[in-house]
Amino acid sequence: MPTTKVTLKVNGFEHQLEVDEKETLMEVLRDRLDLTGTKNACAYGSCGACTVVMNNEAVRSCLLKPDKYNGNEVLTIEGLAEGDQLHPIQQAFIDAGAIQCGFCTAGFVMSLYALFTNNLNASEEEIKTVLEKHICRCTGYEFIWDAAKLAQKMMKDVT
Amino acid sequence: MNYNEVGKPLLRTDAYEKVTGKATYVADIKLPKMLYAKILRAEHAHAKILSIDTSEAEKMPGVRKVVTGQGCDILFGACIKDQPPLAVDKVRHAGEGVAAVIAESERQAEEATKKIKVKYEPLPFVIDPLEAIAENASIIHERNHEYNRLPGYPPQKGTNIFHHYYQVKGDPEKGFKDAEVIVEEEFYYPLLSHVQMEPHGCIACWDSSDSCRIWASTQAPFIVREIVGHMFHIPFANIKVYAPYLGGGFGGKSDVSIEPMVAYIARFVPGHPVRLVLTRKEAFTSSLLGRGMKGKIKVGARKDGKLVALKASFYYSDGAFGDTGCNVVTATGFVATGPYEFEHCEVDCFGIYTNTPPVGAYRGYGHPEAHLMSERVINILARKLGLSQAELMRKNFLSDGKINAVGQVIRKGNGDLYQCLNEVEKELFADPKPEEDDEFYYGRGIAGLMKTPMMVPNASSGAILKMCEDGTFNVSISGIEMGQGSQTTMTQIAAEALKVTPDKIRISKDVDTQFSPYEWQTVGSITTLRVGNAIIQAADRAIQKMKESVAQIAHKPVEDLKYEGELIRSKSDKNFEFETKKLALSYLSPEGHGVGEPIETTGHYYIPGVNFPAPEVGGGNCCGSWTFGCEGAEVKVSKKTGEVTVTHLAIAIDLGKAINPMGARAQMVGGMMMGYGAALTEEVLFNEKGIMKNPNYNQYKLPRLSNVPQKLTVKLVETPDETGPFGARCIAEHPAISIPPAIMNAIHDATGVDLFAIPVKPKELLAKIGGGQDANN
Repeated sequence: MPTTKVTLKVNGFEHQLEVDEKETLMEVLRDRLDLTGTKNACAYGSCGACTVVMNNEAVRSCLLKPDKYNGNEVLTIEGLAEGDQLHPIQQAFIDAGAIQCGFCTAGFVMSLYALFTNNLNASEEEIKTVLEKHICRCTGYEFIWDAAKLAQKMMKDVT
Repeated sequence: MNYNEVGKPLLRTDAYEKVTGKATYVADIKLPKMLYAKILRAEHAHAKILSIDTSEAEKMPGVRKVVTGQGCDILFGACIKDQPPLAVDKVRHAGEGVAAVIAESERQAEEATKKIKVKYEPLPFVIDPLEAIAENASIIHERNHEYNRLPGYPPQKGTNIFHHYYQVKGDPEKGFKDAEVIVEEEFYYPLLSHVQMEPHGCIACWDSSDSCRIWASTQAPFIVREIVGHMFHIPFANIKVYAPYLGGGFGGKSDVSIEPMVAYIARFVPGHPVRLVLTRKEAFTSSLLGRGMKGKIKVGARKDGKLVALKASFYYSDGAFGDTGCNVVTATGFVATGPYEFEHCEVDCFGIYTNTPPVGAYRGYGHPEAHLMSERVINILARKLGLSQAELMRKNFLSDGKINAVGQVIRKGNGDLYQCLNEVEKELFADPKPEEDDEFYYGRGIAGLMKTPMMVPNASSGAILKMCEDGTFNVSISGIEMGQGSQTTMTQIAAEALKVTPDKIRISKDVDTQFSPYEWQTVGSITTLRVGNAIIQAADRAIQKMKESVAQIAHKPVEDLKYEGELIRSKSDKNFEFETKKLALSYLSPEGHGVGEPIETTGHYYIPGVNFPAPEVGGGNCCGSWTFGCEGAEVKVSKKTGEVTVTHLAIAIDLGKAINPMGARAQMVGGMMMGYGAALTEEVLFNEKGIMKNPNYNQYKLPRLSNVPQKLTVKLVETPDETGPFGARCIAEHPAISIPPAIMNAIHDATGVDLFAIPVKPKELLAKIGGGQDANN
C-alpha cells in the first residue's frame, strides 16, 4: 500500500511518521503512539467514542485520513490533565457519576472540551447538540448531562 | 441499622483511570510477538460448504497461517456441546466464522481474507421460531439429539427444538374451569443486540501444547477456562484467563463468545499471542444476540380479581447454537406469572435453533420476555374485570407467605411490592394527566417486576483478603467490573466489614484465573450479593485472626477483645489498645520473634439450598434470591405521526439496602433507558436472504440523549434481605425488565390501542388509532 509522510503534534509532542494512505488518525493514535485512551467502537463516525480535539475542534479520529491530519495539532484524553491535576471536565465526570464502563467516556470529555474552550457560555441546546452525537450504552445519559453542566460551571468558576 | 460506609454515595473507584484514558481494555493490550487475526464470515444464512480454497490467501504479504474448520471435530458448550470453533461442513448463520487469517498486521490479515474462495450450496433457512418448528422446516442441526449435554436440556430428535422446559403448579385445567374471566393473547419480543460500546476482543497464546494464556473481554473468565480446557483436553490449571476492564457486558460477554475460536486458531501458531478484536459489524453478526421470543399466554381470574390460572408458551429463536440460550429458556418459566400468585400455572418454554447468530444472556435473562406478556395481560384483564390495574396487582402480589410459580414460599425479606407500587403511583400520578389536545394523546402505564438470578446450585464467589503492613487491605475478587460499579460497591462492603475507611481498601481491578479466587461468572446481577458475602466472610476471618494474635501477644482471652478497625481494645481494660496494622505480616515482638499468622484470609459464598429445576414438573427451590419492583411510564403519542415520546420513566425497586445510592440510581436509569430502546427503537432485522439488515449504529437505533424523558424517578425501597450483605439484594438487570410493558400500557391509556409487539412502530400504531396523515415510518 502506498505510504505518505506526516507530521503531527500530539499532546504537545511532535511526531514524524510514515503512514499508509488509508491509515486513520485513530489508528495512528492507538497503534503507533500507544494512546489507547481514544477508543474504537464503530470506526465509521457514528458513536463518538474516538473523538479527539484537532486544532481546537472536536473530530472523529476514525474518519480522518492522512491528508486531513497531516501537520495538525491533536489533543487526546491522555493530554488533558496537567500532572495529577485533572481538567475540570474530567473532575466533573467523576463527581457527577457519569462514568460506568468507561468506553465512551473519552469521547464525551473531548467533545465537551472543544465546546467549552471555544464557547464557555454554550447554551443548554448547544451542549445537547454536542452530546447527541455520542452513544453511551450504560448510563442512560442522566449523569453525563449532569457532568456537562457541572463541568461548565467548574470551568467558569476557575476563569 | 447504622453504617459507616454502606449507604453513602461513594465516588467510583475506577473513575480516575477511565477519565484519564489509563484504564486498559483487551484491544489496548500489545504483547511481544503478537499476531493479528481476521475472520472470513459466511454470507449465507444456511449453506453447505462445498470447498474452501485458501492457497491465494496464504501467499499474501504478512500472512503466517490460514485456518479453517475442515477436519476439526471439536464441539464446545457448557450445557450443550453443539458449536464448532469455525464452521465445518456447513454454515448455520450469516456471519459465522468460516476461515481465519493470522498475519503480522490486522490490515494484512483482512486483505488476505478477501483471497479465500469458498463454494457454498445454499440451504433453506429459517429465522422465525414458529416456522422453525413447523413440519418440513429446514433442520439446522441434524445431530441435535446426539450432542453431549447436561441433563435438563432435552432435545427433540429430528426437529429444531434443542431444549424444552416444562413447569407446572396445581391443576391448570381445573383452574381455568374456576375462572370467570379469561384473557388470551400472543406476544412478540424481537431479537436485540447488546451493543456494548467495547466490541468483543480476545488474545490467545499457546505456551506449550497443554498450556495457554487468554486475555478476553469477558464476564466469565472461569467459564472460558472450563470450555477451553474441555475443547483441548488440557489441565484447567494450565490455562490462564486474564480479564482486564470490560467495556460493557449486559450478558453478551457471559459464558463464551469468540474465545473458543481464538483459542483454536492460535494453536496453529504456538508461542505467538493471536489477537482478534471484532468490528462493530461483527459484534452484531458474529457474537451473541439477545431475546427473540414469540409467546402465547392465557390468564384466568375470578370476578373479584383473584388470579386463578395461567398457561403460557414461549418459543425462542435461539440462533445457530443453543448453549448460551438454553438457560434463558428455563429462567423464563420461573417468572412467567409476573410478580403475582397463581394457584395453578403451566409453562412450556422452547429453545429453538434458527439461522441467526446464537442468542444468549441479555440484561434480564428471560424476565423481560415473560413480563412483556404478564404485565400487558394484567392491564387487559383489569379492564375486563372493571378494576384498576393497580387494584388487580395489589390483590395478587406475591408477598410474605404466598407461593410463587416454582413452589417457593415468599418471605418478607424478599421485598415489598406494595410499597414499590405505591412509590411509582405517587410519582407517576402526582399531577393530573394532560388533556388530549390537537397534537397529542397522553397516557400513563405501570408494570410490576420480579427477578431471580439463574445459576447452577454451586455457583460460588470467592474473596482473598490480605492486610498490608500499613493497615491497608488488598481484596482480590473475580467479579468483573463491566461498568455496573461493583468495584466501588465492594470497596464499601469491605470497608464496612473491616471498620476502616474506603481509602484503606484496594479491590483488585482485573482477574487472572491462576491467582484470583474462583467466581462462577458475573451474571444475574449477583456480585453485590455473592461477592459481597464472600468479602464479609474473609473480613470476619481476618478480624478473628487479628484477635487471636493479640490474645497471644497480650495474654488476654479472645472474648475480651474488641475489634475497632485500626485498633483492638480490651473490654475489661480501658487502657489497653493495640494497633492492628502491626499484625499484618505476623507480629514482630520486642524480643524479636514472630507471633501469630499473617492476616491473609479467604471467603466464599454460594446461595445455600438451590437446586436444579425438578425433573418432569419443573420448579422447586431453583431460585436463589428474589427482587421485586414496579415501573411506570408517561407518554404522549403524536396524532400526526404516531410517534411515541416518553416524558417520564419511573422505577421503585426494593433493593434491601442501597450500598451506594448514587451507583444504584445510575444502574436504574441506564437500565430504564435500555428498556426504552427495546420498547421503541431497537430490533435486529434480516433481509430476504437471512442476512442481517442493520448491523450498525446508523440503522440499529440506540437511545441517545434526546430520548431521555424530562422526568426520571428512581425510588429505592429498603426491606432488608437477611441473606444479603448488610441486607442488600440483586438489582442491576432489573430496570430493563418492565419498561416495555409500562410504555405499552401507557400507550393504551393514551390511545385505547392494545399492542402486543415491540418495538412500537409509529405507522402501525397510527393505523390502529385510525387517523392521522404524513406517517413517516
